[in-house]
Amino acid sequence: MSDIFTRYGDGSPTRMSKEDIRFDLEEGTQDAADRGKIPALTEAELDRLFEICTMPEKAVTVERGDEVIVSFDAGTLKLPVRAGVPMDRSAAILTHERAFCSDTMELGHVDYSYKQLKAIIHEECQAMEHIQLNTIIPVFYGAMPNLGLYTKPDGPIENWSELLPLAKIDEAKAAQEEAMEHAVKDIVYVASRMYESGADGINFDTVGASGDADVLATLKAAEILKEKYPDIAIEFGMAGEFVLGMHGELYYDGTRLAGLYPHQQVKMAEKAGAAIFGAVINTNSSMSFAWNIARAVTFVKACTEAASIPVHVNVGMGVGAIPVTNTPPVDAVSRADKALVEIGKADGL
Amino acid sequence: MSLEDIIAEARETILQCDQARAVAVAERAVAQGFDPVQVLSEGFSYGIRQMGDLFGRGEVFLPQLILSSEVMKSAVAILDAAIQGGTPQAKAKMVIATVEGDVHDIGKGIVVSLLKTQGIEVYDLGRDVPTVKIIEKALEVEADIIGTSALLTTTLMGQKKLEDELRKNGLRDRFKTMVGGAPATQRWADRIGADAYAEDAAEAVTKALALLGK
Ligand code: B12
Repeated sequence: MSDIFTRYGDGSPTRMSKEDIRFDLEEGTQDAADRGKIPALTEAELDRLFEICTMPEKAVTVERGDEVIVSFDAGTLKLPVRAGVPMDRSAAILTHERAFCSDTMELGHVDYSYKQLKAIIHEECQAMEHIQLNTIIPVFYGAMPNLGLYTKPDGPIENWSELLPLAKIDEAKAAQEEAMEHAVKDIVYVASRMYESGADGINFDTVGASGDADVLATLKAAEILKEKYPDIAIEFGMAGEFVLGMHGELYYDGTRLAGLYPHQQVKMAEKAGAAIFGAVINTNSSMSFAWNIARAVTFVKACTEAASIPVHVNVGMGVGAIPVTNTPPVDAVSRADKALVEIGKADGL
Repeated sequence: MSLEDIIAEARETILQCDQARAVAVAERAVAQGFDPVQVLSEGFSYGIRQMGDLFGRGEVFLPQLILSSEVMKSAVAILDAAIQGGTPQAKAKMVIATVEGDVHDIGKGIVVSLLKTQGIEVYDLGRDVPTVKIIEKALEVEADIIGTSALLTTTLMGQKKLEDELRKNGLRDRFKTMVGGAPATQRWADRIGADAYAEDAAEAVTKALALLGK
């Protein structure tokens, strides 16, 4: 039978003919090229991607020598919280180090936003010190900038998501600018304490979840931290494939942040002092795996070509061509990983 | 001015967020006796869908999208009056919410802004809204459409719950339903029996108008 087992972006299984897979690969790369104004994949790259998509094995892997480093976001939320395994955070990190052979790991709190961590920072510092005494792999501390938390009722500032639909545009912009100041202070405070408690690096997860102001606050915080601690390793994990323009007029180093795609985002992160860039490409749940992976690889290839720092592509539920499911299926995950590394030239995942 | 020129200019005024020109074009269309429905759907509405699409590509930003939807509203007011020969038309009503357990509301907010430009009266119940509350509100305002947003695979079931509850209570035929959010698909809509699915805000407008038979 010539039909190939594959999936849609929502994880539902399907069978497609080889011709349809090839067609979707071409459409996917073209979509990324149009949106990002970047080159589409070459015929040879599409041929290789087609091979990866149609390999008969259930799970595939990279060729020997092409192995890459893995880093994590929501690190200690995965086993104890999402999977519901009753273990504490240090056990989760040791499991990653000693059973899963993870290259690095991330300590994070269930309340995973910098703002919320101020009040419990002393406990987080203690957890980091304890973990550093027991582990060999680099352990990051991570959380989200999450600018939305500074708005009412969670914070002191007017909510721009409510102001914008009322067409109060100037007020919405001012509110975002005000939130940035709070966020920079909180991020620098928490990251400094955690770094001084032995964190090997600081992870900013879901940068841009609240739009361009969220990105600018993180860039500014990174700059301050880098100045304070020249050796600090900062990882930038993005929220989406382009920076959502909730403000629209925010610039970093002369570049407008709204609308930047991964190959442009990485340059901003580099300027601010980041050591690792976590590119995100959204999965479209209605489209096939072939379409999604061709798109993701196209964006990642442009990003790794532009980057001077390592690019660790986000490959979790709903990003990096991984289907939006709770437990992503291994056929899709392993194919996405292989393609992103071998064709996209990702330095890590 | 020919109808083609009017339509082209209507589109342009939306893309350029030009309030004064939008009002002028709408008034000229009415004065010249062109079909206001056609000017609206092929001109202004086309423009706003294009803006939604550009937003979805990161080429225009939220403040511009909001501005253009404000421009759209003033043009719609003029054309609406002409459609109804001066008497205000009963507006279509839509209740929309992010389902229970889910706090993602950025995308839903954009959908709401665009739907409002079409003269639809939108009741936005916010995020993390229990199914019963959605149904209560829909009954209270006699909604034509109920729209739900879900961004998590774990909360997607909230959209099915709405269908089930409506059916169980004999209310399914009273409303059209529409689902959206990143994990939702046309397949999902078909599976749970929702009347429509839209991938983004621009499509949400087209699908809502189709459900309303416009
Ligand atoms: C922003 C964001 C957040 C923000 C939300 C802020 C807010 N006020 O909305 C915060 C930080 C709070 C957040 C929290 C969480 N999030 Co979140 N979040 C995102 C993110 C980065 C972007 C979503 C977004 O706004 N997109 C932009 C808008 C414009 O697009 P959209 O929402 O898809 O909307 C469009 C269409 O879908 C459609 N549409 C939307 N609604 C509707 C409704 C109708 C009726 C119609 C017709 C159309 C329609 O039109 C819109 C406009 O074009 C995504 C990742 C990603 N890149 O998508 C993760 C993501 C959705 N989150 C995720 C997760 C896991 C979480 C958390 C559980 C994490 C945690 N452990 O804390 C919590 C959950 C909280 C909760 N209970 O809901 C996962 C979901 C994975 C899964 N398997 O379901 C994602 C995919 C990220 C990931 N891979 O981990 N998140």
